Amino acid sequence: MAAATTDDTGLRRGRFAPYGLLSPGIIWLLLFFLVPVVMLVKASLSTKPSRFADPEFAWDFSNYTSALSEYSPEFLRSFLYAGTATVLAILVGYPLAYWIATCGGRWKNFLIGLVVVPFFTSYLIRTIAWTSILQDDGPVTALYRLLPWVGSDGRILATPLAVIGGLTYNFISFMILPIYVSLEKIDFRLTEAAADLGSTPWRAFRKVVLPLSMPGVFAGSLLVFIPAAGDYLNARYLGSPQTSMIGTVVQNKFLVQFDYPQAAALSLVLMVIITAMVLIYSRFLGTEGLAV
Amino acid sequence: MTNRVSRRNFLVSTAALSGLAVGSTALAACGGSEESGSSTTAAGGAADTLTFDNWTLYIDKPNDDLFGEGGTLAEFQKATGIKVDYTEGINDNNELFAKIQPLLSKGDPIGATIIAPTYWMAGRLLQLDWLDQLPLSEIPNAANLIQSLQNPPNDPTGEYSLPWQSGMAGIAYNQAVTGRELTTMDDMWDPAFRGKIGMLTEMRDTIGLIAMSLGIDLANPDDQDYQPAFAKLEEEVANGQIRQFTGNDYVDDLEQGNYAACIGWSGDVAQLSVSNPDIKFVVPESGGTLWFDTMVIPKGASAEQIQAAGKFMNFVYDPVNAARITETVQYISPVQGVQEELRKMGGEAAALADNPLLFPDASTLARLQTWGTISEEKEQQMDEEFARISGA
Repeated sequence: MAAATTDDTGLRRGRFAPYGLLSPGIIWLLLFFLVPVVMLVKASLSTKPSRFADPEFAWDFSNYTSALSEYSPEFLRSFLYAGTATVLAILVGYPLAYWIATCGGRWKNFLIGLVVVPFFTSYLIRTIAWTSILQDDGPVTALYRLLPWVGSDGRILATPLAVIGGLTYNFISFMILPIYVSLEKIDFRLTEAAADLGSTPWRAFRKVVLPLSMPGVFAGSLLVFIPAAGDYLNARYLGSPQTSMIGTVVQNKFLVQFDYPQAAALSLVLMVIITAMVLIYSRFLGTEGLAV
Repeated sequence: MTNRVSRRNFLVSTAALSGLAVGSTALAACGGSEESGSSTTAAGGAADTLTFDNWTLYIDKPNDDLFGEGGTLAEFQKATGIKVDYTEGINDNNELFAKIQPLLSKGDPIGATIIAPTYWMAGRLLQLDWLDQLPLSEIPNAANLIQSLQNPPNDPTGEYSLPWQSGMAGIAYNQAVTGRELTTMDDMWDPAFRGKIGMLTEMRDTIGLIAMSLGIDLANPDDQDYQPAFAKLEEEVANGQIRQFTGNDYVDDLEQGNYAACIGWSGDVAQLSVSNPDIKFVVPESGGTLWFDTMVIPKGASAEQIQAAGKFMNFVYDPVNAARITETVQYISPVQGVQEELRKMGGEAAALADNPLLFPDASTLARLQTWGTISEEKEQQMDEEFARISGA
């Protein structure tokens, strides 16, 4: 009987131990995710009696209708730019990660270090530095103007090209790293096996390596797309009034116009749309592999 | 929305005009707001200290030290025994407001005894009844305030604010790109400069200059309709004439030739033109705006602190001390007699005394206008309209 009792307490202890271990994480999520989201929802349903007064909760849904009716161009542009930047980051980042993982040899860590090096400089400075590189009278723009469809007065700055380029540049490391990690784990003898069974190298890549590295592509896409969709610095410094993104609007609503309810509603709409897009995306690529 | 921080940084760091330097000043601009976060939390303070939260690089710093020998803050301490807790936390007027609004609306002190918002923000704080009266009996030197800034619309009785520094907004242009001199706002809309014109994110400067070019007055905004100015702005954005809306970072675009011309601030051009004589500044014939940052005492300070603040204001309104500040920051000083003091100092300081950007002549001054107080409702409409057009 005594043994059964100890067994029982052991079991009970065992039952609660996971929760004990989880509690820092749960408290963190409650404090820094759930509480802010609830506050955001509350703010988004509030009205302001006057411009400089504190918002009052009022079940006011008009902030949502105006968020969608007035700012749909900015939303569309944000997703278009962020989506394009994500695709570009895959196109540039995947081959690079693949090369480092397969040909890097003992230089692997060094090469991955190089990918991270830009992070040693502030995000803002990296973005502003592009205005010097792409200046109208600079060599890059001079080369760009040689393209047949660009006129002699063509420019890169203050165009969607510069904004998308900036987003791609600023977030591409977040694409390279997860792809590298997933490629690194692949046992490349599988491609030899595929070759033994008569597969061409391209087919072996497409049927074996690419599917196995998809979790990395999926994780990288999220890490690039989500911050890029809410970004405003690239649009601010590299764009023009015609390229403003939803982050620009939220920043202005919050800090210039003190329209907290509208800013909160815009932020929530952005969150909901991104979540929906991520869920749809995960349907296609699958998330099971992420845990591996 | 950026502000004058880098502009001020820029003034002092003209030696380094590289893209990297501009980048690092922008970084400093970012750090600024965080610094002030800690400075404003320290509420109260002993009677023999005084807290002044100001914009970045807006006072003399002998040998890079705020309290360096011979500097204004050190001299003030020597003269009065009061040590100024001086912070450079103001980064942007709206950001400042967002930070102090929750405290002042509840009647809590913000920690700083003196802050230096721009005149229209000072007017807003006064309208909200968040300011204490200045101890004018402690400030006999307030009589040195230059004529043009006396009894401004944001503080008609002059009992709540004293200007710190002042400047002009007008047309800044790169003659190497324009190939000619510009004198009017219509010059900015010359199709030859399509895509090479910049505007400021400061609504009052951008809309102000356009409104004046359309003959609309700025002194009594509530009686005026600024729709024509917004319509003009929208037209020039839509047809691609206007390339971008920026804060202080326009200096970079102007130097690099990305801009032919833009609305800019006198202080920047005063410094830029030293290294690049092609960069020019002109107050358009139709008029430019005159702005000033102003010292105010938000409610919540103790009687001792208010008195100490008065002593400090009196000190910096002494032309000798004011000239020392002007020598460094190179803005228009609100204190009479600074020009003479600069001449006495000789050397480079004396040259500043003859700089029309620091001491504009009578015909320029006559073309400058300062915005009257805009009602809460109208300001909201204008901010919204401006944000819509500028793509924010």
